[in-house]
Amino acid sequence: MEGLIIALFVCLVLLIITKSFSWPVIPFYIIAGIALGVSGLNIVQVSESSTFFSELGLIFLLFFMGLEIKPDRILSNQKTFFSSGLIDLNINMVIGFLAAYIIGFTLTESLVIAAAFFISSTAMTVASLVENKKLMMRESETIVWMMVFEDIVLIIFLTLLSTSINNPLGFIAKIAVILLAFYLIAHFGKKLIRKAINRDDELPVFLTFAAVVIIAFGSKAIGVPETLMVIAFGTALASTDAAAFEAQARPFKDVFLIIFFVFFGISVDFTGGVPVLLIVALSILAIISKLVSGLLIGKVVHGSKRSGIEIWANTIGRGEFSIALAALYGSPIVSSAIAAMVIITSIVGSFTAKYSEPLQDLFARSRKRKTDRLPAENSETIP
Amino acid sequence: MALRSINLPGIGTKYELVTDKDDTIAIFFLKNGNIQMYTLPHDEHTPCVAELTTAEARRLGTIMTGAIMEADKESVEIAFSALSDLRISIHTYVIGKAMAGRCIEDLQIRAKTGVTIIAVSRGDKNIVNPPPSFMFQEGDAVVAIGETDQLKTFERECMVG
Repeated sequence: MEGLIIALFVCLVLLIITKSFSWPVIPFYIIAGIALGVSGLNIVQVSESSTFFSELGLIFLLFFMGLEIKPDRILSNQKTFFSSGLIDLNINMVIGFLAAYIIGFTLTESLVIAAAFFISSTAMTVASLVENKKLMMRESETIVWMMVFEDIVLIIFLTLLSTSINNPLGFIAKIAVILLAFYLIAHFGKKLIRKAINRDDELPVFLTFAAVVIIAFGSKAIGVPETLMVIAFGTALASTDAAAFEAQARPFKDVFLIIFFVFFGISVDFTGGVPVLLIVALSILAIISKLVSGLLIGKVVHGSKRSGIEIWANTIGRGEFSIALAALYGSPIVSSAIAAMVIITSIVGSFTAKYSEPLQDLFARSRKRKTDRLPAENSETIP
Repeated sequence: MALRSINLPGIGTKYELVTDKDDTIAIFFLKNGNIQMYTLPHDEHTPCVAELTTAEARRLGTIMTGAIMEADKESVEIAFSALSDLRISIHTYVIGKAMAGRCIEDLQIRAKTGVTIIAVSRGDKNIVNPPPSFMFQEGDAVVAIGETDQLKTFERECMVG
């Protein structure tokens, strides 16, 4: 219990400091966790209660993500959604996978790393767009749709990873029954749910907490992946009153997710001969590969490489979802690789997002110099 | 004027308006309740931004509808933007021959037009909420409240009558 007290206190201090400078806070939780945990001072250990709280953080993160997924909105933006999303997916997944595989990770490990390598932090991206007052840029919309696309890829990825068990038929049947139940509840109970979630007593908040926790731990008990069920539950409820559920779930998500991040850092083990240089190289590659995909998306969607720089500058940071993947499927060494990647990319990303304009100018100037130089060389040869 | 709105997941609702002079105004209702307003002149590349609280935005909104003080000296329109844009007009009239000597009840003002007379100013005396039996005299200044259309009906039906 002392460990939890120390961790909470450190998080509180970090939160106050980072918010007053408007820095991204996720990497600092992880750094603090690493400093307190196995790889650092070793004064805080993972305990039963911390694991429970961390699990709640993950569950509420995924529930929240489910609430944000509204199929009708996606269908109205198909073109940008698919072109930017697919470029982002193909380039980053492939580069991430190959890099991890070449470094010497196994096939499954490389897949997990590739997914974590691909998925940018929605939380950090959205916060930086709002805080840096960039919402009006035409690239912002593209970026937001990219984030939604990434979320959907994550869901597919989670599905693929969790279906590899002995009795696939029974498993799929179970999932189908639960999904149908969610749909029926949301469809026929719409009025009732809306009424309940909009009351002004303690019912809405308890309803949200209890329903999410029951679904998560209930799914676990009957052998169905709780991650998927919680997302599906969120998506089903999004058709009732998404805003009200978000308002109720937000405090749980915010609080438990902090505990999740810091204890993820605590559990990361850098002591067991982790190839630090290779991991840092992987993180730098993660920044470069987003540059490649960003430039291409800028070119395809907006017809401008400058837009590509803007997209890149805002999507470098990997965060909550990468950590979630590591916590769910990562071996110790995969977790430490992903932890390093999140720390490096999110810190770099927060600066690039803030200074994207000078970056664009720098990019434009360097291109201009190149094009200037060509005719200059020609003119030298002509006389 | 082209207006388009879009829901951005994780951010909120965006409204974008392109004016006839090709300037762009974009307004974002953020998830945290605040509102960011961007304006981009047609010959510029970088927009200007202001972040407003809900109360500030509402105040700005009422100023822009011109509602707080409609310049027209004899009427005031009040808009309650929180109540699905409820608009109420308050208008003053001077009683002419047509209404003189009759009372509110037998003119059936509210039944016929929907307008309510909320005050009468006679000489240096003011009567707030006059009773139905109140008798008008020529030269009374009355304050009537209602929707713009109802006030128009009132002008047509009663004042000229």
